[in-house]
Amino acid sequence: MSLPLLSLLLFLPLLGIASIWLLPVRATRHVVAFTMLVTLALATAALVAYDPAGARFQLLERVTWIASLNIHYLVAVDGISVLFLPATALLFLGSLVASWNAVPDAPRLHYSLLLLFEMATLGIFCALDTALFFVFWELTLVPLYFLLGRWGVTGGSAHAATRYFLIMLAGGIPLLIAFVILATSQPVLTFDLTVLLGAPLPRATQTAVFLLCLLGFGVKVPLVPLHTWLPQFALAAPGSLTALIVGLKLGAFGLIRFAIPLAPQAALDLHWLLAGLGTVAILYGAVGMLAQSNLRLGLAYASICHVGLAVLGLASYTAQAAQGAVSLLLSFSVATGGAFVLLEFLRQRTGSTDVNALGGAAKTMPLLATGFMICGLAGVGMPGTSSFPGEFMLIISALEHHTGAGMAALFGLAIAAGGFLSLYRKAFFGPVSRAAVANASDLRPREWAVLVALIVMIVGIGINPGPWIEIVRPAAEAWAAGLGR
Amino acid sequence: MTSGLSEIFWTEQASLPLLLALQLLPLLGAAVVYALNERRTGVTLGKVFALGELLLCIVAVSHINPTLPALQLAERFAPLAYHVAVDGLSLLLLLLVALLTLLMTLYGMSRGMISPGRLFAVLLLAEAGLVGMLVTVNVAWFAAFSALELWSVVYLLRRWASSRAEILALSRFVQYQAFGWVLFAAGCLVLGWGHAEATGGRWSFDLFDLVGAIPVGKFQTAAFYLLFYGLAVRTPLFPLHGWLPNMAQHGLIAVAPALMVGVKVGIYGMMRFVLPLTPAAVETWQPYVVGFAMAGVFFTAALAFQQSNLRRLLAFAVVSHTSLLVIGLFSLHESGIQGAMLLAANFGLAVTGMWFIVGFVFRRTGTTELHELSGLFERIPFLAIAFLTFGLAIVGMPGTPGFDAAHLILEASIDQFGALPTVATALGNVAAAGFLLWAFQRAFLSQAKAGGHDVDRTLPMEYVVCGIALAAMLAIGFFTEPWLYLTETASQAAAARFVR
Repeated sequence: MSLPLLSLLLFLPLLGIASIWLLPVRATRHVVAFTMLVTLALATAALVAYDPAGARFQLLERVTWIASLNIHYLVAVDGISVLFLPATALLFLGSLVASWNAVPDAPRLHYSLLLLFEMATLGIFCALDTALFFVFWELTLVPLYFLLGRWGVTGGSAHAATRYFLIMLAGGIPLLIAFVILATSQPVLTFDLTVLLGAPLPRATQTAVFLLCLLGFGVKVPLVPLHTWLPQFALAAPGSLTALIVGLKLGAFGLIRFAIPLAPQAALDLHWLLAGLGTVAILYGAVGMLAQSNLRLGLAYASICHVGLAVLGLASYTAQAAQGAVSLLLSFSVATGGAFVLLEFLRQRTGSTDVNALGGAAKTMPLLATGFMICGLAGVGMPGTSSFPGEFMLIISALEHHTGAGMAALFGLAIAAGGFLSLYRKAFFGPVSRAAVANASDLRPREWAVLVALIVMIVGIGINPGPWIEIVRPAAEAWAAGLGR
Repeated sequence: MTSGLSEIFWTEQASLPLLLALQLLPLLGAAVVYALNERRTGVTLGKVFALGELLLCIVAVSHINPTLPALQLAERFAPLAYHVAVDGLSLLLLLLVALLTLLMTLYGMSRGMISPGRLFAVLLLAEAGLVGMLVTVNVAWFAAFSALELWSVVYLLRRWASSRAEILALSRFVQYQAFGWVLFAAGCLVLGWGHAEATGGRWSFDLFDLVGAIPVGKFQTAAFYLLFYGLAVRTPLFPLHGWLPNMAQHGLIAVAPALMVGVKVGIYGMMRFVLPLTPAAVETWQPYVVGFAMAGVFFTAALAFQQSNLRRLLAFAVVSHTSLLVIGLFSLHESGIQGAMLLAANFGLAVTGMWFIVGFVFRRTGTTELHELSGLFERIPFLAIAFLTFGLAIVGMPGTPGFDAAHLILEASIDQFGALPTVATALGNVAAAGFLLWAFQRAFLSQAKAGGHDVDRTLPMEYVVCGIALAAMLAIGFFTEPWLYLTETASQAAAARFVR
């Protein structure tokens, strides 16, 4: 091990923030773009350096942080998290490019917060010390609060920001308590995930930890009925921000990484709970989507539906399911994130994403319409798109272990696909009746480049998923082995 | 039950009686600034004295060994019953006192208050009182220093009062505090009397003597109640907080409340005197104290939601989080005690920072009514972000000192009271986040009203005051280790006398 790759990755955004304030304000966007590009390069380097056949946790760095509480700065990646790093870096870069000309007022502050958010997100994926993880987890809230409250697109955005913050803060409590219970249940106080994974707990403690984690992560996933913040957030935030919050499935990652492996016995006992919550989310999201007339809300409900599928699949606790869940979540980062970015382009042109204010948008904006269709199809798991392999593996696992729930899930996914196509038809086909749509221009080269990059990834991974899935496979097998499957 | 008290004299640890110097320096400063009587040099000297006190505190910290359970740097002078000694916990608060006083002198300058010379003299006098309370191990001296500090605050409130409401707030303050002080003094008498009974007529108020002759039975209960309620008024603890909202709303903005609640001497007094001197009563009444504190967290949070004035709202925030400190302290668990003291320091710093910002806002707008404030974020973004950061520190956000402290309290609370009360307590914190964020949203993030106040940009001195407080806060938040090290053994010593 030569370079502390992960630390470089984590502290680079901070360097970017410092440069923003030191360099003239007109250079801000370029500094941010450069920082994000280097972050992407480093994340890719971490992916290259990761050896799927090697040790479980790689690129490990450990520095004592708070010795008397035995808290370490402990970062590493495994097959489950390593792909999330470039995906995160890519999503942030895409979000930046998408809002390139919509330069917000007070740009220095805005972009500093964006970089802080990127750092915290990367930290969530790298942290192996539960206390460190919690610090990153809560650290995402502050930049989001300001980004939404100060730069939201509707009058109620300050309210939405406060609400989001409070719900997430309340969700943090069960999580913190679970981590404290875990730490104190060991002979020596420890927050180290690698130690905690190897030390089985009494069954009752496991149940408590699992339920607390489920509650804490469930808010972020979001699982029904803890999802109420999401539609409001999707409506109040600019699309580039919604792309980040919906594209990054931090909650589901938390379930895979912490909730299930740390309390394996309880997770196995309570498989019905996890499967049930997943199924409810699928059906609720699908039906909720049918009721929407706003494309952004529709996508928000679609994401509830799809992450429900990941949760349902996970409840079978097989390597295949874990592999499927990870690849589905990654695919959503690209597909859903991309769809929200395209919606932001649409909103900037027509002032709305409500289908009643659109109609016939494909006539004046054919490229945008095509791109949105491809992202949307990836969102519903069309074969040939990046979502298909993951979705397929999840459905197989679900049908095998929870047959009834799996059938319901298939039904829900069909409704969701129908809901998407129906919204799409209303917004993009039919006669052009609104002046805003008639006068809108199609994608500009910069936006076009974002779109091409998205499509290349969606279709490229969709056609040749093998290498990506192989990176995840050994880690997923280790994950399932930890559960005795 | 072992007394478990030991001390190390200053001669073994330092070449100077540091604690004596710590007490005399602000007194000297007060006298000098008073004598200079509104000359410019007096104002400058006031700041120099405040800075000197902070440096002296740092020197004291470097001279003690926090891994020893003994009280250190001890000094005794028998004829006056003068006996002082410190451990990690008292030094933590001493550092806070010195830092806050320094910030207050800087703040006083930026607010451009009338007769700053007199103000600085009283500030230094109050600092002397606070320092005295933190270093003494004699309950009578503690009460005397407490009177000195209260007198300074009363003088501040009276000298700078300008309206009828302020006089009313002052009289309420005096009624409450005098009552609390009398209760505490009566508690001291009971303790001293108990000692005289046990030793055949030799009265003493020294902690080291008293711990060897703890009153028994009803006397201990009486002493506990008198001392506890005396300190509870001072802290203030729900439901004895009636003086604070009025004082916060009408009293001298920022300085007076910061002196009263910035440093939690009430909590410190409970840790230093009530826990060791009435251990059986503490264990008996622990469930009631904790129950009241839990009710207090939510009751005062609910009241905070009702407030339309930012100053009053902050007052209720103080009462709400003080309840959390009491829960930590009365868990009688080493983590809980350590967490409570760290959190007390964190709260003190954060709340004082918020008072300062409220003062800065008041200077610009002439009001702290929330419905009259709007769009401040656009005009003073630095102060807005600082305000929110202080608010998040109170909520125990990771990256602020509140996090590790709250963490310790939760750990102790799970251990002592089980998971459910702990979750309830933690939810109280979310309630606090709720009203603080709501206030922030209304005052800072809302659209600026047409015809509103034309708000000045942030001044350099405001950058300095808030910048120092923020930097201290974040530095401690990310490098908690030295602070945990400073307080760990002392907390274990404080918890050692209770059976877990």
